[in-house]
This record gives sequence, structure tokens and C-alpha cells, in this order.
Amino acid sequence: MYLLDALSTPAQYLPIAIQFAFGVLFVAGMIAISHFLGPKRNTSDKLDTFESGIEQIGNARQPMAIKYFLVAILFVLFDVEVIFFYPYALNFKSLGWEGFAAVCMFVTFFFAGFFYIYKKGALKWED
Amino acid sequence: MPINYYIFLAIILFCIGVTGVLTRRNAIIIFMCIELMLNSVNLLLVAFSKMHHARALAAGAANTTAGIEAQLFVFFIMVVAAAEVAVGLAIIVMMYRNTHSVDINFLNRLKN
Amino acid sequence: MNLIIISALSGVVMMFSGLFVKNNRTISYIATALIIFLSLATMCELGAKSWFNIPQAEAMLRTSVYGKLIGVILTIATTFYFVLSGKDIERVGKHVADYYALMFFVLAGAGILLSFQNLLMLFLGVEILTIPLFILTGAQKQNLKSNEASLKYFLMGAFSTGIMLMGIVLIYGAMGSFDLSVIGKKAQFATPIHGANLMGLLLLLASMAFKVSAAPFHFWTPDVYDGAPTVFTSFMATIVKVAAVVAFIRLFEGSMEPFHTSKWQILVSILIACTLLVGNITAVFQQSVKRMLAYSSISQAGYMLFAVFAFNAFGKEGITIYGLSYSLATIGIFSVLSKMQDITFDGFNGLARQYPGIAFALTVFVLSLAGIPLTGGFLGKFYMISAGAASNSSYTWLFILAILCAAVSVYYYFRIIQAMYFKERVSDTPVFEVPVSKAFPILLIVVAALIILIGINPQILLQYLYF
Repeated sequence: MYLLDALSTPAQYLPIAIQFAFGVLFVAGMIAISHFLGPKRNTSDKLDTFESGIEQIGNARQPMAIKYFLVAILFVLFDVEVIFFYPYALNFKSLGWEGFAAVCMFVTFFFAGFFYIYKKGALKWED
Repeated sequence: MPINYYIFLAIILFCIGVTGVLTRRNAIIIFMCIELMLNSVNLLLVAFSKMHHARALAAGAANTTAGIEAQLFVFFIMVVAAAEVAVGLAIIVMMYRNTHSVDINFLNRLKN
Repeated sequence: MNLIIISALSGVVMMFSGLFVKNNRTISYIATALIIFLSLATMCELGAKSWFNIPQAEAMLRTSVYGKLIGVILTIATTFYFVLSGKDIERVGKHVADYYALMFFVLAGAGILLSFQNLLMLFLGVEILTIPLFILTGAQKQNLKSNEASLKYFLMGAFSTGIMLMGIVLIYGAMGSFDLSVIGKKAQFATPIHGANLMGLLLLLASMAFKVSAAPFHFWTPDVYDGAPTVFTSFMATIVKVAAVVAFIRLFEGSMEPFHTSKWQILVSILIACTLLVGNITAVFQQSVKRMLAYSSISQAGYMLFAVFAFNAFGKEGITIYGLSYSLATIGIFSVLSKMQDITFDGFNGLARQYPGIAFALTVFVLSLAGIPLTGGFLGKFYMISAGAASNSSYTWLFILAILCAAVSVYYYFRIIQAMYFKERVSDTPVFEVPVSKAFPILLIVVAALIILIGINPQILLQYLYF
């Protein structure tokens, strides 16, 4: 059928395979050469994380405020819901008032959710 | 471009996702692999949508909407995946606060 | 449509009632009122037309009489669940109204699964059903077991959703439509079956087996059921499971009609045999009643899968009886279990002397789960196995295996009865964490009477299938 037909012959893929092999060998060879030939001077400055020349402060894996996390998650949710407006915008005229009512209902549910998280205190930054 | 390329690409991505879920031990990475699976499905949906559309056009149906439902399906997958991300990350954070680790090898309290 | 719309709205109402009502008992009363209203609404839909007439939705959701009846069963079971376990839900954590809201959302997802006509709705229904469950499983935020169960459930659930989506897409690629009836029509002319279509069907089968926790896709079930708060385990093991099984049947009966060859039955019979064996044999070795019920729920799913094996009227009738009697019995046992101090078998020691009413009701539940005659569970098992025999009688080994497994299950179910009636209580600790109310044993006995009523006269339920 249409779906899985017209497979090219394996021979046509030979140049690609050669290029693949060459690429892998080249990269591996370069890494190996630089590993064996390069001088090794390990100073403490060199082993530090590079942060544009500024001395690093503390650990990057510090726990961050959970407030930020909550707001980020809520942002993801509300941001993605906007996706449903794209098909509506394309058919804005042909859907008429009925479509508008449907979208209004959708937005109402949306606001219900927003009101809920607001009332729950998820958006409060200061305790 | 023939549809086969898309199918192969999507299936390879999907298999990478499955392999990642089955072999990795970090909850976040497993989660990313699941997202990879979903996104490969999205890619395949869009490709099939185009394919069915072109086929309907070739069959002589002008102004056809064939294939449009697959693109809508992609929207739904994205939204549901976002909802899943919200819940999943919340669960992972809850786990992290209690154990200070996201390694799923920690998950053996229920075995005995 | 009543079930979907009203339960979704009830969920929103519960969310907001949590903001404005501070008393947990009041919240439970609101939830109980809403669920009673919801079950009345589904009953009205069974008798007459739906309250909501949305012709545009025909291509997406199409309710059959069967789906409506299962909807009634699910809401009735949830009503009993809310009434029996309301106090335990209040004890889980701080956000009582949200737990109720999530359970209403689960019911909305179940409503979609009972009536989907399009694979898009199957996907949405499954997600609406499971995402709230991830949260409910992790409701005890400080409890590491609950955390772990919810993370496991989440990862496994999302993974199986990915597999399901791949299956749906492959079928779409081969068939050019998500509509079940269109797929069914096209599949009749596509012989031999298309490669992509076959692959898609297998992936869908695997993911649905995952959702109903059929072996060999069951491994998440015991851990999740064990780790989740006991009240929510009850909800997951009953209402959610029945909805998932019915979705399984609905998915494969329409579009996959041409696929119902001998090969299909071989595949499903292996699935059933594995499920029955794994569920029953591992349940024998459990010390915790909660974990034993988790394994036994796997084996009960195995019996329900006979409807997927057979796809005939017998199977549908069987699921109706099985769904109700299994749900009620399990909800009853869990409602007692979630009040108890010690959830091992020893915790039941001497229960009959202190609480004869509760012990009697528990005995009926256990008998029904084990499939002893005169209970609904017996008739359920009987219908399921005869459905299989009616569709293809050459699978004698499978039916014998099913009956043997029922006999094995008697052993571990009867350990509860043995503990209650024939063992003395050694320790001085009270049986229950919280004092049970006077009405609780009476309610339990009402549920037990209902199970026996179904077992004696199933027609009161089945007549609605042929309205």
C-alpha cells in the first residue's frame, strides 16, 4: 500500500554509511589523540566551573523557593491552554455566535481555575 | 519527501524514548523520555495528516478537510501532556522534598 | 452525556466548596448530595433521553444503553463509597474538598470512556481518568510509601499513554480516520490486515491491558494499590477498573470486528490465563490484607477480560453483574480496612465477637469475591465463563483454569473469615483506629443484601440492558 512502499535499495545508502563511519572514526580519533598528546596541568582554577570569568558563589544545586516552582507549573498549564484559540481564530467567522458562546464557556472555566488558584493562595509571593 | 522518512524518524524517536524509560534511573530523565515518545507521536500525526490530505486531493476532492483531525489531535496531546507535566513534576518535587533524591532505585519501600 | 457533564460540574463545585466551607463533615455532605444527584441523573438518562442534547458531539461520543447502564452502576457504587468511606477520606489530609473534586473528575473520565466513538475521546477519557488518580495516590504528602506509589503510578501511566498514542497514530495512518465506525468499515475490506494497523492494534492492546492491570502488564498494580491511602485504593480497584474494562470492550468490539479471528482469541486467552495465575498465586502468599486485595483485584480483572475474549451478549451481561457485585464487595471490605489499626490478617482476629454486624457483612463480601453461589460474584463469574464458552468452546483449558483459580481464591479470601470467627484476639489494642458509628454496620449490611439480591435475581439489573 501507499504507506510503506517505495523503499530504496540498501546500496543507495552506502555513501551515507561511509560518511557515518568516517565521522565516528574522526571524532574518536581526535579525542584519543588530544587525550594522549596533550599536556595535563590541573590547577584548582582550571577545574572550577567556568562562569564567564566571575568567581563562582556557592552550589548551583541549592533548593529554590517552592513558590517559584508553583508559579512555573501554573504558567505551563495556562500557557498551553491558549492552543485551543488557534483553531478558533482560523474559523472565527464561520463559527459565528455559537462558536463564540462555546469559547466564552471555555474561558469561563479557565477563569474558574484561575480564581481557584488565586483563592488557594498559590500566587502569593510573600508569606 | 516520502512519508517513509517521517515514519522512520518518528519510530526511531519513539524507540529512543521507550529505551530511555526502561533503562534510565533518574525520574526526571524518564519523564523527558516519555515526553520524547509523545512528541514523536505528534510528528507522526502531522505527517499522516499531510499524507491523507494529499491523498484526498489526488482523489479529486477539492477543498477537502481530510487530515485536519490529526492536527487537532496534536493540540490535544500537547495540552494533556502539559497537564501531565504539571502533575508529574509536582509528584517528583514532593518525592525530592522527602528523600532528597530523584533516583528511582530509592523506590523499593513497597517491595517488602 | 449526563454523567460526563454533571460530574465535571460537580468537580468544579467541590473545588470551590473547599474554599468557602471549612468544616470537613459539611464538605462530605455536599459531595454525597452531589453524587446522589449524579446517580439520579444517570438513571434518568437510562430511562429517557439525555438532558443535554448536543448533536455536534455525535461523532465523538455516542452513548449506548449498555454504556448508560454501566454509568448507573459506577455512580451507585461511588455513592456507597462516599457514604461508607466519607470519614476516612476526611482523615487522609487537609484538602478534603479537592479529593472529592478529583474523584468527580475521575467519574467524568469514566463517562467519556463509556461512550467514546472516536479515538481522540479514548485518549482524553483515559487521561482524565488517570491524572487525578496520580494525585489521589500521592495524597499523603509526608508518607514515603504514598509518594513512591504515586511516582511509580505516574511514570508507568504516562508510559502506557505514550504507547497507546503510538497505537492510535499507526491505526490512523493505515485507516485515515479516528472514528471507530469508519475504521470498522474500512477494516472489513482490508484483508490481510495492514501491517501498520496490526502494529497499532497490538500497541493499543498492550496499553489497555496496562490500564486494567492484566498480566504481564500488571507489575505496577500491587505497589500502587499498596502505597496509596487505603480509601483511594478502594476507589481505584473498583470504579476505575470497571470503567477501564468497559472501555477495553468498547474499543475492540467495533473497530476490530474483522480482527476477531482465532488469533485474537489466542492472544486474549494467554492474557487472561497469565492474569488469573499471577493474581491468584501471588495473592496466596500475602500477609497484608490490603496487598492481598491488590493481587486479587488483578485476578478479578482476569475474569472481566472474558468479555474481551468473547464479545457477545453474555459477556456484556456478565460485566454488568460482575462490575456491580465486585465493586460493592470491594468497597465494603476496604471501608472496614481503612478504619482498622492493623491491616494484616491478624488485625481481623476476633472481629466477629466485638462487631457481629460488620463481621457478617464482611463474610458476604468475601463470599461474593470468592464466587460462592447465592452471591452476585458467583453469577458474575458464571456469566463470564459461559460467555467464553458460548463464543468458542474449544478453549476448555482456559475455562478449567478459571474455575481452578476461583477455587484457589477461596483459600485466601476465607482466611479473613477464619480470622474473624475462629481466632481469638491476643492484643488489647482496639480493632479500629476511630470509633465506628452506629449506622456503619447497618449500611454495610444493606450493601451485603444488595449483593445477595443480585445473586438471587440478576434480572432486576439485566432488564435495563434490553429497554
